Amino acid sequence: MQREAAIREPLILGNKSYKDITDDVVGPIQGPAPIGWKIMITISAIIAVYGVGSILYLLGTGIGVWGLNKTVGWSWDITNFVWWVGIGHAGTLISAVLLLFRQKWRMAINRSAEAMTIFAVIMAATFPGIHMGRIWVSYWVLPLPNQFGSLWVNFNSPLLWDVFAISTYFSVSLVFWYIGLIPDFATIRDRMVKPLPKKIYGILAFGWSGRAKHWTRFEEVSLVLAGIATPLVFSVHSIVSMDFATSVIPGWHTTIFPPYFVSGAVFSGFAMVQTLLLIMRKGMKLENYIHVKHVEYMNIVIIVTGSIVGVAYLTELFISWYSGVEYESYAFINRFSGPYSWSYWIMMTCNVISPQLFWFKKIRRSLIATFILSIVVNIGMWFERYVIIVTSIHRDYNPSSWGEFHPSSMDLGIFIGTLGIFFTLFLGFARFFPVLALNELKTILKSSGEAYKKQHDNH
Amino acid sequence: MSQNKRYWSGLDELHGTEEFKAIQGQEFPGVQSVDEFLSDDRLESTHTGRRDFLKFMGFSLTAATLAACETPVIKSIPYTNKPEEVTPGVANYYASTFYNGQDYGQVLVKTREGRPIFIKSNALTGEGKVGVRVNASVMGLYDSARLNGPRKGGQPTDWATIDADVQGALAAGGRKVVLTHTVVSPSLNRAISLFCAATGAEHIQYDAISYSGMRKANLADYGRDVVPTYALDQTEAIVTIGADFLGTWGDVAVQTTAWSKGRQPENGKMSSLHAFESVMTLTGSNADRRNMIKPSEAGRVALALLNGLTGGGNSGDLSESAAAGIAPAVAALKAAGSKGLVVAGSNDPNVQLIVNACNRALGAYGTTVDLENAWVLGRGNDEAFAALVADMAAGKVGTLLIHGVNPAYTSTAFATALGKVKASISTSLFADETASRCTHIAPDHHWLESWGDAQRTTKRVDWVQPTISPLFDSRAAGSSLLTWAGNPETDWYTFLRQTWNPNYTADQLYTDAAWNSSLHDGFMALESEGFPVSFEGAGSGLAAAKQAVMATKGGAFELAFYQKNTIGQGDQTANPMLQETPDPLTKITWDNYVTMAKSDMDAMGLNTYIGQEKPASVVRVTVGGQSVEMPAVLLPGQKPGTMGIALGYGRGANGEEVGRAAFQMAENGDFLRDANSALVPVGTNAFPLLGSASGLPQYEQLNVTVEATGATYALASTQVHSTDMGRDSIVKETTFGSYFAERKAAKGSASWNKLIRIGVHEDVNGDGVINAQDSKPTAAFDLWHEHPVEEVGHRWGMTIDLTTCTGCSACVTACHIENNVPVVGKDEVRRHRDMHWMRIDRFFASDYSLERGEEEGVGAIGSYRRMEDPAENPQTVHMPMMCQHCNHAPCETVCPVAATTHSNEGLNQMTYNRCIGTRYCANNCPYKVRRFNWFNYPGYKKFMNFNPSQDNLTRMVLNPDVTVRSRGVMEKCSMCVQRIQEGKLNAKKAGTKVPDGAVVTACAEACPTNAIQFGDLNDKQSHVAAVSENNRAYHALEEIGVQPNIFYMTKVRNTESTEA
Repeated sequence: MQREAAIREPLILGNKSYKDITDDVVGPIQGPAPIGWKIMITISAIIAVYGVGSILYLLGTGIGVWGLNKTVGWSWDITNFVWWVGIGHAGTLISAVLLLFRQKWRMAINRSAEAMTIFAVIMAATFPGIHMGRIWVSYWVLPLPNQFGSLWVNFNSPLLWDVFAISTYFSVSLVFWYIGLIPDFATIRDRMVKPLPKKIYGILAFGWSGRAKHWTRFEEVSLVLAGIATPLVFSVHSIVSMDFATSVIPGWHTTIFPPYFVSGAVFSGFAMVQTLLLIMRKGMKLENYIHVKHVEYMNIVIIVTGSIVGVAYLTELFISWYSGVEYESYAFINRFSGPYSWSYWIMMTCNVISPQLFWFKKIRRSLIATFILSIVVNIGMWFERYVIIVTSIHRDYNPSSWGEFHPSSMDLGIFIGTLGIFFTLFLGFARFFPVLALNELKTILKSSGEAYKKQHDNH
Repeated sequence: MSQNKRYWSGLDELHGTEEFKAIQGQEFPGVQSVDEFLSDDRLESTHTGRRDFLKFMGFSLTAATLAACETPVIKSIPYTNKPEEVTPGVANYYASTFYNGQDYGQVLVKTREGRPIFIKSNALTGEGKVGVRVNASVMGLYDSARLNGPRKGGQPTDWATIDADVQGALAAGGRKVVLTHTVVSPSLNRAISLFCAATGAEHIQYDAISYSGMRKANLADYGRDVVPTYALDQTEAIVTIGADFLGTWGDVAVQTTAWSKGRQPENGKMSSLHAFESVMTLTGSNADRRNMIKPSEAGRVALALLNGLTGGGNSGDLSESAAAGIAPAVAALKAAGSKGLVVAGSNDPNVQLIVNACNRALGAYGTTVDLENAWVLGRGNDEAFAALVADMAAGKVGTLLIHGVNPAYTSTAFATALGKVKASISTSLFADETASRCTHIAPDHHWLESWGDAQRTTKRVDWVQPTISPLFDSRAAGSSLLTWAGNPETDWYTFLRQTWNPNYTADQLYTDAAWNSSLHDGFMALESEGFPVSFEGAGSGLAAAKQAVMATKGGAFELAFYQKNTIGQGDQTANPMLQETPDPLTKITWDNYVTMAKSDMDAMGLNTYIGQEKPASVVRVTVGGQSVEMPAVLLPGQKPGTMGIALGYGRGANGEEVGRAAFQMAENGDFLRDANSALVPVGTNAFPLLGSASGLPQYEQLNVTVEATGATYALASTQVHSTDMGRDSIVKETTFGSYFAERKAAKGSASWNKLIRIGVHEDVNGDGVINAQDSKPTAAFDLWHEHPVEEVGHRWGMTIDLTTCTGCSACVTACHIENNVPVVGKDEVRRHRDMHWMRIDRFFASDYSLERGEEEGVGAIGSYRRMEDPAENPQTVHMPMMCQHCNHAPCETVCPVAATTHSNEGLNQMTYNRCIGTRYCANNCPYKVRRFNWFNYPGYKKFMNFNPSQDNLTRMVLNPDVTVRSRGVMEKCSMCVQRIQEGKLNAKKAGTKVPDGAVVTACAEACPTNAIQFGDLNDKQSHVAAVSENNRAYHALEEIGVQPNIFYMTKVRNTESTEA
């Protein structure tokens, strides 16, 4: 069996046995719903219903209920889309890339990170749908055989690439997540007493029996899927960034966008994982599995990606000046000194300055500071997209068309609504799904469990 | 083997079965006749079970339900007898004449299936093109607020009652007056004379906008009580003192075209235009040199010019900005000599006397000023009107017939006095301010429903012919007059014909070939005797006039009244299309306001930037005892210490039914109501504030006070940014001197129109080194394959000359009406959601530039901030902007569903049916010309009160050749693809190539200066191809490399002498 260096901090605290792990994860599913959960899901569901109502009003009335106009044709809609897609990055990165790199600490967080990914991608996919003027013909973006003659999609369009990128990413993430869930569902099935839940979990477990053959295949499939998912982590946000990078609009037309967007996405994804897990570990008493070390690891990822993002911001500024293109240089001067400079400075503060605080070990290992900063980072990342989209098009080439964007109550309602839907889904996940990859965790219990490590040390 | 091949229709034939043999001889085998079927015995033995019955029921019900989900079918009724000249789908054009007391135009009316839908100029007159107010007037025909029949005391009545009442009133005592606008119709004049003779009535003419001051001056100097016409195409220098001759002053349609003829730099000379004005007008914005003056200085400016021309004399005090302009203006006038011209908009006879003296000093009479063939318009008699109002107030007026004017709107005294008239009859089409106060309304036909004749000058008579049967129970005003006069002939058409041919009888209805051909042409030339002008008494009043203008003094704030190019005197305030057409200078729609200078606004702490959520500050302007509260707007070029207010707004202030679009709407589409739940009109009526001097209305108030109220008021502007931020690849401009020096330069090489080249990393010039000198033009860079449109088939393109574009906006309304562009209302315009396919970008020059910032050490950020502010008295550029039909279109590559594509004729086409509304194309358009249907404009409640497609009557104005777009799709300029298609089909039918000029877009057709030209760039013989090769031609934003099919022509300002 693999041994881990004593100097490494244990990943599972306390004196846990295999059964303890199962109890800790499956227990909450079997027990009655805690009152805190009920309150939270009620609030989320109310917000979600408000969001759905706002969306229906939008679909019934027209895109005009948003604050968009002839100059600013995208704003909160695409900001929210990119923001949610970005958030949806952490899950697959954690489960796929960290799997390939054999990072054991991912096991405590990958399940919920993947769930977050799935839900975030669902939220993200909502926006390109509802931002269309005619959502009822949205299926035209698919290259389907049709009766319209030789009518085909436009393969030159980055929006079409988006369709493929997002749908591929979503399906692979979903399959990956689900494959990982199968042994855990089987564990739940085996422990369920009531017939109906037992039946449901039985169906979800796909007849998992825990045989060695199953485990071998499980490992193989996981590895293959990780291999498939890894390029997707980079492709999705690269392609999303091409919505902007391939345009002619100063501030959008930038070759730096793909790597910059990917690191930004990882940055915001990890921040969202932090936000969710810090609540969940408290609420579901998972402190022994998700503890300071995990948080610290993730904070390190946040420093690195945050710094990449910061360098990208500065590179953009430098290049805009160095290029000598008057439109390009004005676009960036306008970004930090124009009517929307407040959003630029929010972005700079939240994304570039605030993560640097994690260089301090005290802050990096402080759960409260991490929680606050994780929210700050996500605010910053939302503003990053807002800055890119709105400040670039509100003043582009022709000054006669320069304008402003002012969000309407529907912009706000739908954004808040997607947060509501997201948290409703996530709370549902936390209640009915194994929130930790318990069977995977068991594989590292003896190498990275605190009690076992101590035993090893004593030997 | 091949000979043995056999073909068979089925296995039955191959095997020769019995069944096959049985049916072999039958032509329709297996067909059973109904009789046979019904007589089948076995039929009775069959039965339909309960289950089958239910299945069939279910199926039928579902099928019927599904069938009911189909789009509703709107049935059109075919002609029982097709009218000879009407072919569905083919337009007919009729010549007619527009006249409303202010504008006059010889037009062609396009009708489709009997409905007039478009108005354009009648090119046969060769006289100029009608402007924005005339071509939008077709909307008025279909205004659902029009009266549907005669009214008595506000209640519907019949014509017999009206006739009896009027005749009864005429028989009673009191003064009898026919009050009209200036009558330009000889037949109507004849009818009025007959009426006056029969009833003892008198005829008084009154115009909303008075030209009395000028006529009095001409009467004093030359014995002619007229407004002259001007030969602007003959002028070499024009000095205007507040006369907006390109916008609202005089015969705008003719003047604009004539002026542009002298402004072609290719001719090697250009006329120059110097403007002295308080509020920046369209004319001032097109001036080569514009000088800011106070309204009180107008006379002294004229005097200074006169002194300059005649050699000295005291001109009194002039402000610095006015005085600085005198010497250049005088120099230009002196150089032009008899080809110079001075005009003034003032209604003060003293100012006009001095202007007359200037023109005499120049020798302009007979060359640029034509008094002999004077203008027929502008003959209102203000003194007679004032006396009438006094008599009305005194109860002395028994019967008052009102035709063509709305004096209760323009004169508060008239509105009050009208109640004391025993019988007042209006022929208005609407129950407007005047008509609603009259005892009777006898509605006239709309001009598009009328017969008539009209004269602009004495040289020609123009015909008005109906293009549709009267929509409502109206009667020609002339016919009403003849009826009331007891004339034996009351049929208006017969009367009209008899005016021109006393021997006309109904037998000649169709047989008079001369009449038919002149009606086809729209006009008939007349032998004009010409009125000799005597110069003997000229100048006798000059000394007194000089004294008077020297004594004119203004207070701390002076107020100038002007008219907007779009709304004019205000008779079309309820025309939603005109309301939504932005003012060419402020770019504000749906409102009037107080224009102010930046320094004054800053001193008062007023908001100078009108944005989406940044409303204007409201100020209180007090004139004499009267106050109005109006929003204040920064208008660059406004003389500090002066303000301007546009006339023509605030119609229907007492809820009169002047048309729904004259009232403000709440955000949900209902009418806005004030605290007393009364309707709120659009804008404020400024006519009651007008000044007055010796009985003449004066379009200025020399001593007013203005104070901030602290309130705010939202204004809707289509362009919130004023300057071009130093982006000189959008607008290229030069002076005539530099143009002239390089006029022979090859295209792309002149210093004022250099082809933009992009540096490349290859040795282009072959000097052995790769350095900054190695560059290629943008056309050399291709990301995609070249569209196969060069030299193959058609390539439709356009040239737009910025030198002659005046910003008049006729193209905007023409495009609007041709292409069914939605009217979206003030609230949506405020949200930057105007739908104009064609817009006119107005750029004010800034004092500041990056270079100046560098010199002053301000830095780029500070410089850009300062460049956002226009100069105090800026130069102005009007730049028509619409889809550039790029050959490398950024919009086309980004559409995921290929809804916008390139046609093989060079058009960037928008397929509405395919559009899913991602708006990516609009974001990626460098020119920002794409417009999105944010709502269902033809159906959503917010637009119900002004969108033409939401009114059953107004909807008839829609062009049936153009789809009315629904919600969620993108739209933009199509280069009038429906007209291109029509032109191609006509050429195909004729078996010829499409001749140059056969296809013309609505904007090019409407352009009064021919600044916009349309044609086939692949046809090397075409005019547009030649112009595109001119050395002034360039592509806007050329460096992006999108390669548009629209060429702009460098703007040339005549700010240097031609000798340069």
